[in-house]
Amino acid sequence: MPVFTFEGHELYYELHGRDGDPVLTIVNGLSMRTSHWGPYFQLLPEAGVRVLTYDMLGQGNSSKPVLGASFSDHAAGLHALHAHLGIQRPYVFGISFGGVVALRYAVNYPDALAGVIPVSTFSELDAQLRGHSTNLYLGLVRVGFGFYLDLLMPLNFSNAWIAEHQELIQLIRRVGVSTNELYGIQNLMESLADFRSMTPELPEITAPALILNGEFDYLTPRHLHDILRRGIRNSRLVLVPRVCHAFTLEIPRLTSRLIADFVHGVERGDWQGDQSVWVAAEDPAAEPLLQPCPGDHLRAIPLPASEQRQVARRQRSTPRRRRAPERARN
Amino acid sequence: MQSAFDRHRRRLQACFGAQGVGPDDQSRITLFIQSLKAINAGVLARLELQPMDWAPWKFLHTQYYRELEMSTLMGRATTWSTNPLVYVEAGNLNLGLWNRTRAWDYLQGPLAPDARFYRYLAMSHALLSVVRLIPVLPPSMPLDTPFLQALHDVEEENGRQIQLQIRLLKELDPGLERQEREALVEEEREQVEACYLELLESLCPDGSAG
Repeated sequence: MPVFTFEGHELYYELHGRDGDPVLTIVNGLSMRTSHWGPYFQLLPEAGVRVLTYDMLGQGNSSKPVLGASFSDHAAGLHALHAHLGIQRPYVFGISFGGVVALRYAVNYPDALAGVIPVSTFSELDAQLRGHSTNLYLGLVRVGFGFYLDLLMPLNFSNAWIAEHQELIQLIRRVGVSTNELYGIQNLMESLADFRSMTPELPEITAPALILNGEFDYLTPRHLHDILRRGIRNSRLVLVPRVCHAFTLEIPRLTSRLIADFVHGVERGDWQGDQSVWVAAEDPAAEPLLQPCPGDHLRAIPLPASEQRQVARRQRSTPRRRRAPERARN
Repeated sequence: MQSAFDRHRRRLQACFGAQGVGPDDQSRITLFIQSLKAINAGVLARLELQPMDWAPWKFLHTQYYRELEMSTLMGRATTWSTNPLVYVEAGNLNLGLWNRTRAWDYLQGPLAPDARFYRYLAMSHALLSVVRLIPVLPPSMPLDTPFLQALHDVEEENGRQIQLQIRLLKELDPGLERQEREALVEEEREQVEACYLELLESLCPDGSAG
């Protein structure tokens, strides 16, 4: 079992793919572990991307310090793991809690990454997300880990996927309860207790940033990803159709294609971070995979075609780079 | 611990998946859990006789009665073995648990929020979190017998009760540096892990679900 010892604690990791290919580091969501990324261990190497996954302190096969770890420790541990493995400029992909770690990594270690992919995540806790976080935390500590997972299921997965995978969902729940230590996950949640908004630090992220947001992600909705888009100059926001918070588990082929296209685009030097908004196709083999997002991407109500045209005209006539600071104040 | 646990988990999942959890193993598991609960409740019982002048007293009081409740629940839900050797083995495991955790240290003198109490918290945190049997059952195995349902309820209750230990371990100041506290917590954990591995070793002997 490959482990790296960092400040007396063991970090479990797995590395898949060919030596020499660009490396994508995956940072788990709160109650995830390396095994959740199984499909990506094949899909990404096939697309020419090497994959490093690891369990954060408190997760999976890594140490679970009873007294907890500070939030900055997670980014520092990842940086030390990269150094240990001789990985100099990885692409750091993080989902949900892991997305915040990826953003922290990008701020703290700007010279130690080639790109960042924040997914289903946030840089600040608004009133709704703080409410969700409190409910999840209380569900975890007052009822139990099973209930915490029950709360997450309808936020994580789409209706269609839940309907098709009833038995699998029960299995996921049971395995989740069995393989996680409640206090380990609780410590991760508590490391966010004194979380301060990272939004003012976003302009410090200079690496190319591909921001991914599921169309029906009601845990970390569109506007939180738009804060990232507005704050990170070298970014693009891609909306992923018909999926929810944990879409990476639901549609690994499409997600892998989005990641691989981004990584190779940056490697070739033709990926452009212009703070634009795009919609991904549902078919992972579609060409082109991305279309510019028409209309107001922050609205859930479909606007009449005439209003969509007006919004599109406004967006075309206002250079995004000049408009970003003004919108960031809102 | 992790690799030894993984080895036992694979073996026990195969064994229990094929044959279920029989009376011998139910008895071994219940007697072990009752030993854990007896240790924790034994320490907590002493607080019942002390003045109620400390904020966490109420939670320690609750935990005392919850531990008794969980212990008796397991006793009621178990199909007890008729094999006397099972009880001899359980007695040895119980003795090992008392020796390794040095639980008698906490049975003398009044309890106060000091380094000794901090060590008790570390030990009881390990008692409530290390010993989990649901993970060694196949994930697809229904928990639809009185024994398995009680086991599930006990482990879920442990997750709620351990909140007291988590809060106090993080917030109580026993006059130790953080590294000393981490080392102390780890020491107590290793002792309980060793006992837990002995229990796992004793289950499904020779592949029989007993």
